[in-house]
Amino acid sequence: MDHHPTNWGRPRDDRVDPYGTFPIHARPRPAKDVFADGVQRTQQPIVTGTSVIGLKYSGGVMLAADNLASYGSLARYKDVQRLHPVGTSTVVGAGGDMSDFQHLQHMLDSLVTEEFTYDDGNKLGPTEIYEYLSRVMYGRRSKMDPLWNALVVGGVKPNGESFLGYVDLLGTTYQSPTIATGFGAYIAQPLLRNAVDERPDPLSEEEAVKVIQQCMKALFYRDARSLNKYQIAKVTSEGVTISDPLEAPTVWGFAEGIRGYGAQTQ
Amino acid sequence: MTSIGTGYDLSASTYSPDGRIFQVEYANKAVENAGTAIGLRVKDGVVLAVEKIIHSKLLMPESNKRILTIDRHIGYTSSGLLADGRQLANRAREEAQSSRDFYREPPTLKAIVNRLSLFVQAYTLYSSVRPFGCTSLLAAVDKHGPGLYVIEPSGISLGYHGAAVGKGRQLAKTELEKLKLSELSMREAVFEAARIIHLVHDDAKEKDFELEMSWIGSETNNVHLPVPKDLFLEADRKAREALEEDMED
Amino acid sequence: MSAQERRFNPYTENGGTILAIAGQDFTVIAGDTRQSEGYNIQTRYAPKVFRLTDKAVLAVNGFAADGNMFVQKVQQRLEWYQHAHNKEMPLRAIARLIQTMLYAKRFFPYYVYNILGGIEDDGSGAVYSFDPVGSYEREACRAAGAAQSLVQPFLDNQIYFKNQLPPSGGAHPKHLPLKEVLSLVIDSFTGATERHIEVGDGLEIYIVTASKRPNADLEAIANLKQVPGGFIGGEDGEKIYVVRRELKKD
Repeated sequence: MDHHPTNWGRPRDDRVDPYGTFPIHARPRPAKDVFADGVQRTQQPIVTGTSVIGLKYSGGVMLAADNLASYGSLARYKDVQRLHPVGTSTVVGAGGDMSDFQHLQHMLDSLVTEEFTYDDGNKLGPTEIYEYLSRVMYGRRSKMDPLWNALVVGGVKPNGESFLGYVDLLGTTYQSPTIATGFGAYIAQPLLRNAVDERPDPLSEEEAVKVIQQCMKALFYRDARSLNKYQIAKVTSEGVTISDPLEAPTVWGFAEGIRGYGAQTQ
Repeated sequence: MTSIGTGYDLSASTYSPDGRIFQVEYANKAVENAGTAIGLRVKDGVVLAVEKIIHSKLLMPESNKRILTIDRHIGYTSSGLLADGRQLANRAREEAQSSRDFYREPPTLKAIVNRLSLFVQAYTLYSSVRPFGCTSLLAAVDKHGPGLYVIEPSGISLGYHGAAVGKGRQLAKTELEKLKLSELSMREAVFEAARIIHLVHDDAKEKDFELEMSWIGSETNNVHLPVPKDLFLEADRKAREALEEDMED
Repeated sequence: MSAQERRFNPYTENGGTILAIAGQDFTVIAGDTRQSEGYNIQTRYAPKVFRLTDKAVLAVNGFAADGNMFVQKVQQRLEWYQHAHNKEMPLRAIARLIQTMLYAKRFFPYYVYNILGGIEDDGSGAVYSFDPVGSYEREACRAAGAAQSLVQPFLDNQIYFKNQLPPSGGAHPKHLPLKEVLSLVIDSFTGATERHIEVGDGLEIYIVTASKRPNADLEAIANLKQVPGGFIGGEDGEKIYVVRRELKKD
């Protein structure tokens, strides 16, 4: 983090002087300031969220994301909800740029409000929200002005079937029984597939929570941009519930014995 | 009206010598002859009720709703030219949405009413347009609590505890004045509203009508919703019974 | 780091392979169902082959987001054509439409390789293949996508009989029967699945048959399903079938 006031509000550049160790005049600068061109479209994410994971289970769909919004490698905001309920049967989880996600939340809320005012009994389900988001994301990437996010849409359709889909900043879409974005694609996706794909019958709610907890713990251990404080969203035919922040029990005792950690330096 | 036929009523942009704008007054006439609409602002919410005149037996029951939703927390109904009312409702929806875009919070009813009445007033200024032939009732619960406003064709907007517009307004106002509105619950207000609409409807002169009611407040988690079916039917039945008792007296 | 390098890249590659083979009175269009990015399998079932009309099927491969959008736009144009002319667009016209639509985005292309298969107005099976900016030609067979370089030479050898001598005194057959074409398709994909990491999971084979074709040879095919459609040609018209098979998932 660059603590010098002249650099407040400017995106850091990890590659040069990450700890602000040089005097101002001698400070190495990126070849070009990211704000140099005046108003710029998002060409890199600034305040970011990490992985979102999701899976289908017998009662519906479960999503999880931690509560951290990072500013580069700085753990900047530690109480950010990255799971957003839309209507009564959908949840959208987001990684990537948090300001772009807030913009999306507002768009979705407006959409739901507009639909409500029509008062015609029509409700937006997860498929409609997914389609809308994929059009918005693809439209923005086609304008070369992307919304820098990876989104997971989970929900229950009016016919009772559960839905789980992915959309990202390129407009790439897919649906799958398990989804993990970002670093989670490497750490959590194998665990999720092990739990879901290898079984003939769907997981129970208890089993699903267990797998999610296992994934979030693994992510906290291995993802340097993660936080051991996360929320689980459940969507069933009863509606949407988002848990209070949870914590995974972790063990760090082994670190004491490893050379290079803690008090032991040699 | 003495000045009729003198040519001062041809345009909304021309005053009569005694300072009146006849086009606006004619717009009020359109309201005075239309189905009654009332609003009750009570302790914990607001109730809207309209007497929807059924022009044809071929119309589907419960179709062509007269009470509309502007935002999650704002209800709207009008008396007068229905098409003008719909136009204003859509305008109000746009205002509510743009307020949300700008301030990222639910708009106050006053903010929407102010914007909407400016819009209505603009239609009293030009010869090229006709003033709106409807009076609007807006009901909401916002951060200041329950609110009920009326916007007239002139663009005047006023807040009320109880409001009545349309053909049966006089009798309805008399009935509203008898109530202790600020002590009523929403549920009680629903029964009063149904009773008043049934009371002011003139069976002899008028065509058939359909009662329509919505509410917003503590009962609805501050969301504008139609009055639930069972409560509606009960209120409707009680209103009819009360009317018959009066006849017998 | 220059601004050029930091520029947002609006494209990616999503792997997979498609192919189509034309017979005398049928066409087979197939694709695997894996969608991937880098070394990650995103999903094991994302269709790349789509019914357009009762006699046309389109396979798309490359950048999945562009592919899906392109298919939707083609389908919309075909619907408008039907409303305007009260008939389905002929295959050669669909091919030209696709070239026009691709070329219209010449300077911000759909990063997609298209293969169109179906039945021409004269009843013959046909395959049209396209590059991302609209160059196209009619062919007897074509493979595209991640494993194009594995599958196309195999098809050249087995369909066009390249590097094969004709039997003495005879000639190579002009068209292969459906049964043989299907086993070539299946072999192509099992082979591609073995040797290419981006190919696998599932296989979708579409079969378009010409009107009045005696479809008795279809009965022997396992897991065959007719694809519901407009059936403008009636009982005798062109028909579309699909066969879904598993591929290795590793």
